Amino acid sequence: MKFSACRIAAALVLAAMPAVLSAQWPEHRSSKIPRTADGKPKLDGPTPRTADGKPDLSGVWDYAGRIGLPRNFIPGVPNEPPPPKVTEGPSEATFFDVGSGIPGGLPLTPWAANVLKERKAENSKDNPDAHCLPLGLMQLHTHPQPRKMIQTPDVTVILYEAQAGIRQIFTDGRKRPPADVQPWWYGYSTGHWEGDTLVVETTGFRDDVWLDVFGSPQTNTGKMTERFRRPNYGTLQIDVTIEDPEAYTKPFTVRVNQKIMPDTELIEFICTENDRSGSHLVGK
Amino acid sequence: MMKELLTTACLVAALPLCAQWPDYPTSKTPHDADGKAKLDAPTPRTADGKPDLSGIWEYRGPMIPGAGQRAGQQGAPPRTPPPPPPLPADGIPLATFRNIGAGFKDGLPLRPAATELLRARKAENSKDNPDAHCLPLGLMQLHTHPQPRKIIQSPDVTVILYEAQAGIRQIFTDGRKLPPADAQPWWYGYSIGHWDGDTMVVETTGFRDDVWLDIDGTPLTNKGKLTERFHRVNYGTLNIDVTVEDPTMYTAPFTVKVIQRIMPDTELIEFICQENDRSGPHLVGK
Repeated sequence: MKFSACRIAAALVLAAMPAVLSAQWPEHRSSKIPRTADGKPKLDGPTPRTADGKPDLSGVWDYAGRIGLPRNFIPGVPNEPPPPKVTEGPSEATFFDVGSGIPGGLPLTPWAANVLKERKAENSKDNPDAHCLPLGLMQLHTHPQPRKMIQTPDVTVILYEAQAGIRQIFTDGRKRPPADVQPWWYGYSTGHWEGDTLVVETTGFRDDVWLDVFGSPQTNTGKMTERFRRPNYGTLQIDVTIEDPEAYTKPFTVRVNQKIMPDTELIEFICTENDRSGSHLVGK
Repeated sequence: MMKELLTTACLVAALPLCAQWPDYPTSKTPHDADGKAKLDAPTPRTADGKPDLSGIWEYRGPMIPGAGQRAGQQGAPPRTPPPPPPLPADGIPLATFRNIGAGFKDGLPLRPAATELLRARKAENSKDNPDAHCLPLGLMQLHTHPQPRKIIQSPDVTVILYEAQAGIRQIFTDGRKLPPADAQPWWYGYSIGHWDGDTMVVETTGFRDDVWLDIDGTPLTNKGKLTERFHRVNYGTLNIDVTVEDPTMYTAPFTVKVIQRIMPDTELIEFICQENDRSGPHLVGK
């Protein structure tokens, strides 16, 4: 049977989700979690704060948005319910399509439209995630595997279970490197606080970023601005603005919702440990 | 192959000089009168008075073979062991990147199974060292690796980001216990830490059965336990005494020392081994 890479990727994603339920997670009941009378985590409890009064974004976070699998994509796999109507704020990104909720779609330049078409025509077989390579930051935001944020005064670290990704957001006042710096998969991120929002600017990306499973592109000229807000204990809201004059005719903003995973921990994910899928991925 | 590995390690060691590191002079680095980082300044401390281990650290111990040592390629004269590293004043032998037991006059207390495994790994020119295959290194190899690592200490967890293989390690200091003995084994194991005076004591269990403690292949198994004592003696120096216990491999626990030095005003770079990994099929054993 010939499965497309995209379908395989989707199947992997779906397979990864029940893993959360079945894998042997070292659970640890934290004394810092607000709880209801019956001991359940109080997800609508107040936003925790650090010693200096800033919201504390630390925690293990689960993507709470849509995967965005195309309808009837995998035989036997039920379709996702239709997306809820967005009443306020930017449209939500999905794992498969960062622009799925944008009326009229992404503002692609002709070059980007062609790249996206080619990537989709090849069944997304070159998605870095399928080859044990680092994912783009947007794919990491919408990935079904969890991520852990650790906030300290000078740096906020995000550990991504997916591909064991590491990200540092420098909040010690430094500037980002000049435009001709060595490009990185994750770029170079600096952050500052605007009220209760951590505003993170990232540049220095590689030229071949995939923002989603379909392959919406981002290039080295791209800049990502993320606004992290934790409105209550259990909720993290990230509004992401993409500017990339090579790939998009104008900036656009999408929202990612995440929810806290209390009393648990990331597990080790070493993609290269037994990677045998690469050579089986087929394109058009 | 070993020579290639060593060459790679040396290339990596030279990288900090040539790669485009985003330098950032931090206001927190103590400086002497002529503006240089003052490495013997006092140990920084966190708000709760604990030593702050945070920083980017470079391995400062003996690296690999002694001068003039030949690699083990075909036709080369037999290797002579390098001279042992100097013995520190406290009597705890220094580990080297190549051989963590190099400082023990009579070698490590290997059981026959460990002797055989180590012999087999060396006979194969260490070609199965996980580092050579874009796989996570053991914690000891990460301690002695020429690529830097960054420690970020927060009250509940201390994170170590290793540039080598982009490794991630969490040391939980929130009072939790180690998982039960039948936990899913991990490359990095599961680490909890507590403070003993000014020393952070870290206990780690739950390793895989096939850990390489060094390039030679000194083994550690799922029955193993590492106890690391992190001590930042001054601004610039981090000492880590590591006790290895593994009843299936060693007849007695043993302790080795790792010395690291701060790298001020710099940052880790991105290291994605899988990005262009073409060496695997070219590695040859006996």
